[in-house]
Amino acid sequence: MCRPPALLITLACLTSLGHGAEVDYLSQIKPLLAEKCYSCHGVLSQESNLRLDAREVMLRGGDGGAVIVPEAPESSELITRVSSADADRMPPPGQGSPLTSDQVSLIERWIREGAIAPDEEIPQSPDEHWAFQPIVRPESARDAGDANPIDVLLNAKHARSGLKPQGEASRSLLIRRLYLDLIGLPPTIDQLADSRPWSEIVDGLLSDPRHGERWARHWMDIWRYSDWYGLGDQLRNSQKHLWHWRDWIIDAVNSDKGYDRMIHEMLAGDELAPEDPDVLAATGFLARNYYLFNRTTWLDDTIEHTSKAFLGLTINCAKCHDHKYDPITQLDYYRLRAVFEPHQVRLDPIPGITNLEVDGLPRVFDDQLGAVTQLHLRGDPKQPDTETEIIPGVPGILAAFAEPIHPIDLPAYAFAPGARPYHQEDRLTEARDLVRAAESKWKDTEAKGAEQENAATTAQGSEASSAVASNDAREIAKAALVAAELKLKSLEATIEADRISLAEPAESTAAQTAVATAARLQVEAQLAASRHQRLLDAADQAKAQAASEQIQAAEKKLAALQSGEEPAKYESLRGSRKALESPADSEANYPPMYSRTSSGRRTALARWMTSPAQPLTARVAVNHVWLRHFGTPLVESVFDFGLRAPKPEHADLLDLLASELIESGWSLKHLHRLIVTSDAYRRSASNLGADPECVRHDPNNKLYWRMNGRRMESQVLRDSLLSLAGRLDTTIGGPPVDPAQPTTRRSLYFIHSPESQDKFLEMFDNADVLSCYQRSESIVPQQALALANSELSLTSAGQIAEIIESRLDDHGDRAFIDAVFETLLARPATGEESEECRHFLDDLALATVPSAEPTKRSRIRLIHSLLNHNDFITIR
Amino acid sequence: MRFDPAKRSHDDIQSDLGLRRRAFLGSLTGLGGLALHAMLAGETSANESSRHPDGKPHFPPKAKSVIWLFMRGGVSHMESFDPKPALNQYAGKTIAETPFGDVQAPEKLKKVRVVVINDANGQQRNTLYPLQVGFKRYGQSGIEVSDWFPHIGSRIDDIAVIRSMWTTDDNHGAQVQFHSGRHMLDPRVPTIGAWINYGLGTLNENLPQFIGMGPRFFDKRDGHYLGPAYDSVLLKVDPKRPLDYAAPEGDIGESEQRAEFALVHRLNQIAGQAYPGDQELAARIKSYELAYRMQTAVPEIIRFDQETEATHRLYGLDQPATKPFGEQLLAARRFVESGVRFIQIMHGDGAAGAWDQHSDLQAKHSELAMQVDRPIAGLLQDLKQRGLLDQTLVVFATEFGRTPGSQGSNGRDHHPYGFSVWMAGGGLRGGLVHGATDEIGFHATEHPHYVTDIHATIMHQLGLHPHRLQVPGHQRLEQDYGSVIEQIL
Repeated sequence: MCRPPALLITLACLTSLGHGAEVDYLSQIKPLLAEKCYSCHGVLSQESNLRLDAREVMLRGGDGGAVIVPEAPESSELITRVSSADADRMPPPGQGSPLTSDQVSLIERWIREGAIAPDEEIPQSPDEHWAFQPIVRPESARDAGDANPIDVLLNAKHARSGLKPQGEASRSLLIRRLYLDLIGLPPTIDQLADSRPWSEIVDGLLSDPRHGERWARHWMDIWRYSDWYGLGDQLRNSQKHLWHWRDWIIDAVNSDKGYDRMIHEMLAGDELAPEDPDVLAATGFLARNYYLFNRTTWLDDTIEHTSKAFLGLTINCAKCHDHKYDPITQLDYYRLRAVFEPHQVRLDPIPGITNLEVDGLPRVFDDQLGAVTQLHLRGDPKQPDTETEIIPGVPGILAAFAEPIHPIDLPAYAFAPGARPYHQEDRLTEARDLVRAAESKWKDTEAKGAEQENAATTAQGSEASSAVASNDAREIAKAALVAAELKLKSLEATIEADRISLAEPAESTAAQTAVATAARLQVEAQLAASRHQRLLDAADQAKAQAASEQIQAAEKKLAALQSGEEPAKYESLRGSRKALESPADSEANYPPMYSRTSSGRRTALARWMTSPAQPLTARVAVNHVWLRHFGTPLVESVFDFGLRAPKPEHADLLDLLASELIESGWSLKHLHRLIVTSDAYRRSASNLGADPECVRHDPNNKLYWRMNGRRMESQVLRDSLLSLAGRLDTTIGGPPVDPAQPTTRRSLYFIHSPESQDKFLEMFDNADVLSCYQRSESIVPQQALALANSELSLTSAGQIAEIIESRLDDHGDRAFIDAVFETLLARPATGEESEECRHFLDDLALATVPSAEPTKRSRIRLIHSLLNHNDFITIR
Repeated sequence: MRFDPAKRSHDDIQSDLGLRRRAFLGSLTGLGGLALHAMLAGETSANESSRHPDGKPHFPPKAKSVIWLFMRGGVSHMESFDPKPALNQYAGKTIAETPFGDVQAPEKLKKVRVVVINDANGQQRNTLYPLQVGFKRYGQSGIEVSDWFPHIGSRIDDIAVIRSMWTTDDNHGAQVQFHSGRHMLDPRVPTIGAWINYGLGTLNENLPQFIGMGPRFFDKRDGHYLGPAYDSVLLKVDPKRPLDYAAPEGDIGESEQRAEFALVHRLNQIAGQAYPGDQELAARIKSYELAYRMQTAVPEIIRFDQETEATHRLYGLDQPATKPFGEQLLAARRFVESGVRFIQIMHGDGAAGAWDQHSDLQAKHSELAMQVDRPIAGLLQDLKQRGLLDQTLVVFATEFGRTPGSQGSNGRDHHPYGFSVWMAGGGLRGGLVHGATDEIGFHATEHPHYVTDIHATIMHQLGLHPHRLQVPGHQRLEQDYGSVIEQIL
């Protein structure tokens, strides 16, 4: 689940506060005006030249003069208009609901009390918004020398504020922090004692393949990974086999693919590398939004989450009307929709597999290049605006550096997936196997039939009738063989026709001959199959009748082909399966070959997103990475960098990280390295012994004078338990695992969809499948029950006990307790803790539960207790 | 050796307090509802706590708790609480052939937002289908109730029937819509139970404040942007395992677990010395205290051995057909007595919900009605005789109604344009009918109410002003808030 953005905390408009206290402009009046008035009378738009977004501009007024008269609400135009019952009411009917009487009287009181407001800046024009400015590496971090530039910036702030930051955390706690952050698994006792330099440990973990799994899960949150779901076998949402995209993410992280390249491949991999399945898999990002029932919902999700994930813009708010807060028009929304309008989703064949239910590669492609986008008035698809032509493009406010769109010619591999040599080979093998099977079946029935015939010549009754049955069986087997052979021949002819028609002009003799042969053999194969079917259905009159009709139809078609009455037409080999555009469609509605060009629109979009002039993409990305190392983001509203996001305290740090990311070739590993080698990252997470000034002036650690303790995410918790217990299955990648089955695979491999999630993970704020830009860290009693009572923690405790015991030379309680604390909490037990634990072991050894090995049993209990310790679930 | 936490009595828990570490649980006496509420909300850091409601009603409430009964699928309004004799009169005629042809005028059908294009269901059904059941007048109010709900009929003087509901989903996403006010194609938002849980403080620190029972499909969450702490806690009426992880799934004895909880408590306290002012740690300590008590308190409530024979019968626990739902309702009453705010009970299995008679309406609807009729009437009677009905709002709701026209030979299709729900107790008037559909039960014509009007009415009776619960960054529309149905107060 994800946390609501704690933006504009004061907006909880307390409209009916008791009388007595003075009305507070910032918490009571401004939010109300923002909600009701700013969209037409604010920084984005000034109807009648009037703005209401600061006291000063209200006094200055618009075309009609001042709208507030302090201490005289009765003379204030603002009150007259918001309380009017006539057509001049504000907000105008249709553009907003009227203010309630409570709200009106609140504004009245505010004006009567003198319309008091603190000094405030009058908001600037939106193109001056901080997040829309170019990314500039901060001057002060330019010549940092050996110092980490993150520390240069933060230390300067500490010095300015007179704060003394905390010192470094203990080495073992630091190593645990680093392991959990970079690979999502706790260090072993030996790894805790690693004496190598910090940077070597960091590099080791960054090149550990488990790093890809750890960070893939973070990006899967942000990019909304969901396995397919529907009803029964019917696909309704996302795509089957979407795990190919998950594996692409793991691989992209591990190979440190540039973040810019990741965006290119996810949005337009099909245009950039149309023949490379490893790149095509990235477009699972788009395929995930597939929704069977409603194309508008599908594209809405695509637009909303592409914008939020990469740009930190809530473009979705401009679907029904211009954005209320940001300079994004409704037209911008539909221009972006036009970028995605031609694309559809399909499953491509994978070498060695012909059944797409078994496996296939989900990917997107531009299907209908001519698909028209229409603006929906008030967001209602039933009210298309037929006047306005929608040209694909990016939001106007940042369009200056957009590149032109160029259509892209595709190779046959892309538009004719059935003509891929490996797939043709797979299909031929399959058809040959069928022939062989039919042959051997036919031989068997022939042999049996001959035996029975011999017997029948000397017998009567039942044996004679079984001979009749065996004649039927022989006939069926023969028909099956004929059908299989013709199917193979038809397949061979189809492949040949596909090959020639892709290589030569359609008018060439060779092409015409090949097409004619394929057309004839396809009908003959159909005829043979129907004949076989009629024999099989002989006992069922209705079915036999249907088969007969098919035979007649095929015979007729064959005759027409042979006489030249009907032009020779064949169906190309169907290699892939397009996801249905509507439940009313069927696969046969769609051609086996697709458009030979792609619109190039998504490539242009991706290039714009990663353009050197693009101010948002890198900032949004580094904010996500920082959040996941420090527990708090630099920009609180992680998916909204629009005008409602105030300039952050650490705008300089954000820009430093963004420029580091870009200058390193968009290397995320570079960014991780920079962050985790900073002093800021290595500080103690405790207030203990802190400079009292820090605690007093910055209790929430906005200046990062200490580290933040964070709770393990659900996946890290489960993986850590399994890893400590020595039973984590470290296999990387592959189809997802059903949570209902026992498994010790890493948690990111569970099926993750709204209909299937692991129960244990759910207890600990698992990623919301529909949108999760930031995990929440709730603390609820059900979590305590899960850690106390689950099979996972109870079983793990026993296994951890065995591992610890096997390493100990000294089997005394004291040594055992120390080892348990080290292993689970990465720190020694204090004297007090050790004593508590010894009492616990003593008490339990005398406890009422009889056991053959009371010491062993009580030690398991101790371990199980520590798995419930706050310092276990917390990344200290 | 396994143990069953449910078997422990309250005294055992008290004696746990006297275990070696007396501090364990002892600190709870100082823990007020407010602090606990904040803790349950998972909002622990100081800068975030400011945006939370204080857990107090905004004005004096009439009711303290809600029992929400939701019939999954769509209950035929014409065959439950809104009799339409005209259907018998015009049976077999198309709507166009009756004097009511204009009900299908295109502008009147506009409000529906289709989810599944060209679906087999959710279509106009034109040939009127006669009522499949008779009606009788009940109580002093003389309100007509169908013969499938005789027991509820007998309580009608406590019930306010609302015959003029409408919704916009013609498919089963309407389940989501009735709970949240938003259409299936909109983003998911908190449900009414989550809002109540969010807005009101706890009345019992040992129990979750929002409990769910029965089958659920389309959307298994309630809290959404309020966070998982506001999801309903799903319970089964099984004292051995009423909720996930309520009992150990491995080898651990009762005394061992008690000792473990005490040790964890003590060690966390000691760790607090190294992390002064760590609010997450404080919250975690409290969550363990609550968890320990919850695993005893919850099973105690769903154990009915102290209930009299007569009560068992009242809820239909003596009959196999009524027992499953009856048990949930009896548990609901016991939860209400213990101060739980919102108990959400779903009836009718399957993705679409059992009350979905596209065919075989007479046989299936009568069977389903039989499963719920006696338990619901028993609940109302029991609440009343215990003096709890005044402070407990009981809601009987469903996704949508069913078409006046027939689907196939003996069914009715989904019908979002007009349908019935009812509410009882919680300070509402009883024995009245509010609103009406037209003669054939097609449109809600008199006092039409969108589904959130029910939410607004509940909020009002519980003393909450929904506008004051708005969460920054999550703008709600007026329609999301609904309007209080003043006429039934």
